[in-house]
Amino acid sequence: MLHRRIYQFFIIYFLGVGLLLALKYGLSLSDYVIPSPGEIWRTGRTYAGPYLLAVLNTLAVAVLGHIVSICLATMVAILGRLTAWVGSFIRTAAFNIQAYPIVAVAPIIFILLGDGLASRLLIAAMICYFPLLLSFIGVFSEPVREIEHFFESTGRMTWRLQVKIRAFENIQKLTTVIVGSATMAMVGTIVAEFIAATAGIGYSIRIALYQSDLAKILVALFLIGIGTSLYLVSLEWIGNALQARLKRT
Amino acid sequence: MGTDWGTSMKRAWILFPILIFLFACGQKENLEEVNYRLKWLYNVSTVGDLYAEAQGYFARHGLRVNVKPGGPERDALKELELGHAQFGVASADQVLRAAAKGAPIVVLAQLFQVNPLNWIYRPDQTLFATPEDLKGKRIGVTFGGNDEAILRALLARYGITEDQVSLFSVRYDYTPFYEGEVDFWPLYLNAQAVIIGEKLEKAGEKYAFMSPDALGVRFVANSVVTTREMLEKRPETVKRFLTALLQGWQDALDPKNEDQAVKVLLAADRETPEAVVRRQLPVTRQLMTTSPASEFGKIDTAAWQQTEEIMRTQKLIPGPVAVETLLAPGNTE
Repeated sequence: MLHRRIYQFFIIYFLGVGLLLALKYGLSLSDYVIPSPGEIWRTGRTYAGPYLLAVLNTLAVAVLGHIVSICLATMVAILGRLTAWVGSFIRTAAFNIQAYPIVAVAPIIFILLGDGLASRLLIAAMICYFPLLLSFIGVFSEPVREIEHFFESTGRMTWRLQVKIRAFENIQKLTTVIVGSATMAMVGTIVAEFIAATAGIGYSIRIALYQSDLAKILVALFLIGIGTSLYLVSLEWIGNALQARLKRT
Repeated sequence: MGTDWGTSMKRAWILFPILIFLFACGQKENLEEVNYRLKWLYNVSTVGDLYAEAQGYFARHGLRVNVKPGGPERDALKELELGHAQFGVASADQVLRAAAKGAPIVVLAQLFQVNPLNWIYRPDQTLFATPEDLKGKRIGVTFGGNDEAILRALLARYGITEDQVSLFSVRYDYTPFYEGEVDFWPLYLNAQAVIIGEKLEKAGEKYAFMSPDALGVRFVANSVVTTREMLEKRPETVKRFLTALLQGWQDALDPKNEDQAVKVLLAADRETPEAVVRRQLPVTRQLMTTSPASEFGKIDTAAWQQTEEIMRTQKLIPGPVAVETLLAPGNTE
């Protein structure tokens, strides 16, 4: 799985770089507009170390923000399943809040919380929270009648059991949503760093942009791609292991 | 006869505006169209560019110039090379970085004779009489920005090592300065300084500015640029553009034309209050017109050489770029 994801990423990345180089040589553009392969290589050798640390820093925040948003979405969705009205209200609120672009909200967050970890974490969580919440509300509000009916008629149904049944029956869907939202957590963290933080790969990209250094940006994108692929594969592995375990029990 | 006369008159009345319209269209088509990409969004530092366009200076020189705002994600130099723009505004550090990587560009005119980048501080809380006083202070800097290069050059000039000061990464939010967390904060004297200064005045606080230029660090700011190909293949267009632009700038900064300049700027920049623009204009005038009015836009070769030296020393460019070859002949001093 890891092998497949990585080589798929390599294909996409090198196709993109190849296209840029074709443009460069086709239009006779200078290294300022599009760097030469030699410059990309030299930049990669010089900055791979510090950029790798920056990507790991970003990834750590993204994973933490993702976990926070999964926990929060689960809690809110469990509450939301109590009545149809609460579920519908939460869904509407989620849609409305999601409609605000994060670049507009982020400066307010940075003014209130500063440019440290808290702001990056909050923005990462915010970006991946809403898609998770909408899916989780859908899953936890939808009864699995054929199973729940048995427990209800025998008087053994509790809210915990109900949540477990619905989660088990939709585990594939939940795993897909969690894996899908992982990329959004990574994107959210990078956006936050780009806007105002002072650490992480988003911050490095911003500095490279100030210096109009596309070679640095290409190196950063390469490492971000590798980091995100690794995280997605880890999540898929956890999801598969969980499903296998649930099936066994 | 009377009816024929009346009909002819009616026809004439209908035809007349049509002919005027066709004439105007014909005139418009005769103008040579070029794109001019600014460095930043429309603000007081672009007033002359807007003035030249709005007051018909370009049209009088046979040009239809699309003055396009810049921004953080825009790079006029890249647009020049890609052919999306024929003229642009770029800071000297951008020009030197591009030249170091082989970009075929030429500097036509230097807009700011004094770099507007300053550091604001509170003189009653932060003692600053000589650069030595920077030791032990917390100084705001945009890492990767040209203020970082200027500050490092200033520190190096006065033998202050980086461990003797504390550098603070700044962004759009001035809260760390307002709260006294940072002693010196970078800003543009003709733009944000007016707004921030007003806020501090209202709060009853004193403020002053540290000017790197006054302390001997002459780092060139915005300049008008084009490609070498444009200069060689369309020299007449370049000449007409530059004549119209510099005349536009000169007139926009002339106190006699202040009302008109403010009106032109406010039409493009609706976010800045008129009172602020009126305070920004005289500061801009001071920074751009240190030389006689007839020499507006003069390229200061010595300042360019110093800028190159700063960038080389800080390894922001890999080697010498022979800066003199980038400056258009005939407009240098």
